Amino acid sequence: MNSETLNTLDSYSKNKYKYGFVTNIDNEKPKKGLNEDTIKFISLKKKEPDWMLQWRLKAFSKWKKMKEPKWANLNFPEIDYQDIYYYSAPKGFEKKPKDLSEVDPKLIETYNKLGIPLEEQKVLAGVAVDVVFDSVSVATTYKGELEKLGIIFCSIGEAIQKHPDLIKKYLGSVIPAGDHSFSALNSAVFTDGSFVYIPEGVKCPMELSTYFRINAENTGQFERTLIIADKGSYVSYLEGCTAPKRDDNQLHAANVELIALEDAEIKYSTVQNWYPGDEDGKGGIYNFVTKRGLCAGKNSKISWTQVETGSAITWKYPSCILKGDNSIGEFYSVAITNNFQQADTGTKMTHIGKNTKSKIISKGISLGKSQNTYRGEVSFLRKADKARNYTQCDSLLVGNRCGAHTVPYIDSKNNTAVIEHEASTSKINEDQLYYCRQRGLSHEEAVSLIVNGFCKQVLQELPMEFAVEAQKLVSISLEGSVG
Amino acid sequence: MNIQDNYLKNKKNIFFSENKDIETHREKLINIFENDRFDKKNNESIKNINLKNFIDFKYKYLIPEETSVINKNQENSYTIVSVNGQCSSFKDDKIEITKILDEDYNDFSKNDTIEHNDHFVNLNSLFLNSGFKITVKKNNNIKIKISNIITDDDLTIFQKNNYICEEGSSLNLIEEYENKNNSTSNLLNVIKLEKNSQLNHFLIQDNSPNHNLIITSHSTCKKDSNYTQKVYNFSEGYVRNFHYSELIETNSEADLQGIFFLKDNNICNNKTFVKHLAEDCKSNQVYKGILNDRAKATYFSNTHVDQVAQKTEGYQLSKGILLSENASYFSKPELKIYADDVKCSHGSTIGPIDENAIFYLRSRGMSKIAATKILISSFINEELSSIDNQQMSEIIQKKLVRYLSKVK
Repeated sequence: MNSETLNTLDSYSKNKYKYGFVTNIDNEKPKKGLNEDTIKFISLKKKEPDWMLQWRLKAFSKWKKMKEPKWANLNFPEIDYQDIYYYSAPKGFEKKPKDLSEVDPKLIETYNKLGIPLEEQKVLAGVAVDVVFDSVSVATTYKGELEKLGIIFCSIGEAIQKHPDLIKKYLGSVIPAGDHSFSALNSAVFTDGSFVYIPEGVKCPMELSTYFRINAENTGQFERTLIIADKGSYVSYLEGCTAPKRDDNQLHAANVELIALEDAEIKYSTVQNWYPGDEDGKGGIYNFVTKRGLCAGKNSKISWTQVETGSAITWKYPSCILKGDNSIGEFYSVAITNNFQQADTGTKMTHIGKNTKSKIISKGISLGKSQNTYRGEVSFLRKADKARNYTQCDSLLVGNRCGAHTVPYIDSKNNTAVIEHEASTSKINEDQLYYCRQRGLSHEEAVSLIVNGFCKQVLQELPMEFAVEAQKLVSISLEGSVG
Repeated sequence: MNIQDNYLKNKKNIFFSENKDIETHREKLINIFENDRFDKKNNESIKNINLKNFIDFKYKYLIPEETSVINKNQENSYTIVSVNGQCSSFKDDKIEITKILDEDYNDFSKNDTIEHNDHFVNLNSLFLNSGFKITVKKNNNIKIKISNIITDDDLTIFQKNNYICEEGSSLNLIEEYENKNNSTSNLLNVIKLEKNSQLNHFLIQDNSPNHNLIITSHSTCKKDSNYTQKVYNFSEGYVRNFHYSELIETNSEADLQGIFFLKDNNICNNKTFVKHLAEDCKSNQVYKGILNDRAKATYFSNTHVDQVAQKTEGYQLSKGILLSENASYFSKPELKIYADDVKCSHGSTIGPIDENAIFYLRSRGMSKIAATKILISSFINEELSSIDNQQMSEIIQKKLVRYLSKVK
């Protein structure tokens, strides 16, 4: 091979992950490691009241006694919690900029590269964006218009200061700090995230969205998101993620809590495309996310939609607790794993109230040498009369070195509840492939088309803004692994 | 009593306690018992039960005075009465029955994953006090019926049976467990199917409320062999059916089916596990259960497809009917697939009897109870009508009628 070819190959392989760049901004960090001082430092930096600090310290003391949950079908080296920075904020951000002109131009440039220019987005998309760059909210747009409706959409740090009553009442009410070790860790050291409150009877007129982005090396991101939909309200929330290319594994343990009161509806959509590691399984994000929604009131509804293509390790189970009578929980998921990625994802539907309904559609696609597991629990408690569940989980295998696993847990304690579960695993249908090839599509295009069709049931649940991006993402994830 | 003391005290009654290798293995098992935290959430073998009752037991075993009876009824047909897990030796040109030997101990019992996940198999290996070995010779077509009799109250039977079907043979095996005394029977069946052999295995379980029956089986299938197992559980006491199957050579098949009828405070744990280790194999796992009163059941099914096991077909189905508001059913149908050219699926449903069907029957003038009974019978009709043995079909029908008479 001559040097020119090598150079071309080299540059090509570097370009593979197109969001893999690093913005050089000075970071102000505390020392590495996790102890009470770190937590006090974070709390001080965020100018938090004392009760919040106590809350964090309590969670920390719980975390110290806990072990990581072991049920998942994942294989990774032990995480050294003392080798991580728990807070990093770009310098000079203690004083928040009032508008975009005060924002560091380098940041703006980063967003331009990502394709979400804030200035344009304000005008064009009609989407209010609460951007998390590392750990501090940089700019919150569209706030004024939402305020008119009484909607609160701000960073969680701001909410702790301005709406302590709501925070005290709801933070940790769905995911208690002592639930498992990752939720305790998050409760102790969370730095930022979003807070949404939709007042009674308000239908949020736009899709609320946050763009998470992990930047500084070795900084675990511990977002905390809390969404409360008061009686009769509606909100749709989008979460999208990309991360710059890094070799060290980055830990990410977010907590997301949703609370839907009577007649309220929350729709939560995620597209997750964090750095999955390279072709040899080196690097990539460790993603341990706890997402849980509580249908607290009658006739409430929570719907989770997720497209998971990134992260070296995904450990994520968006769940619903269906407490209110007639409440509905939904879970739509596409998980694609390639190379050495490992995903253990699914949901948990706990039926407590009468006439509660849940629906689970999960599509897993495994390529390369990856392992993809669906793990879901559906349980009907004693009082869940006439509850109903339908679960469908399909897996597609491409290549013979990957694995697809389905582990459902089904528990019924009520004799009027009906539960149906079906799952299938197969490879791409040769006839379909042949048909597409015959019509002039390349092998890769044909696979991409079929996989997109396989996922359609889930993708169509995504809001418009995401649907197009997600379809592209599915095709990109398949690149280079087929044929 | 501590498990180690219990073992040492009764060592003289336990098989192979002079064998050094086995002794070392048993020490390891005792260690597991002493160090395990008995994690109820993640260990399938101890769900819903109080393991303490099974670990802190009073060991009691009687060597039967009357040895078992082996009758050759007709050509190719045998009936065996096994007493306290023992069976006397027998040999003719078609079958051979012997005691189990030291080397049989290692089959299945010595297995790292099992040792850490199934405490009942460990108990069996530790306290092994009975068992026999049946070999069906080449190219024979044999029927065997085994009645398992336990003579006294409070006996603890730890039995290991080996079945070997030699090349080209075919065995129709009916096992009956009908005991009315307060004993505990922990049985491990190790089944080996050689090339082109076939085993139809029926297990009829109908014990009284204080009798615990723990059955574990492990079958390995070689090329072109076929293992079919059907479990009919009418027991009123605790029953555990854990059945493992390994398809180790091409074109072999495993079919594990079961139906269980529970009432009162009955607990029943079921598990089927099929491991596909070769190409072109087929498996089927179907369990159906009816739960009344405060009964509890679990069913774990698992299909594991190895990387080399292309062209696999593996199906699972689990269905449960809950008749009362206090019954509960837990099912976990698992698929673990490492090969791409496979067709695997599972389905699972749990619910009440279809109200529309009840309505239909009631509108035709049937009482609610009659309608319920008809629908229960039809729910398992497929399994019953597939029994080609007239005599057995009648036995099961009778037991079903008895169960239905108590449904209100």
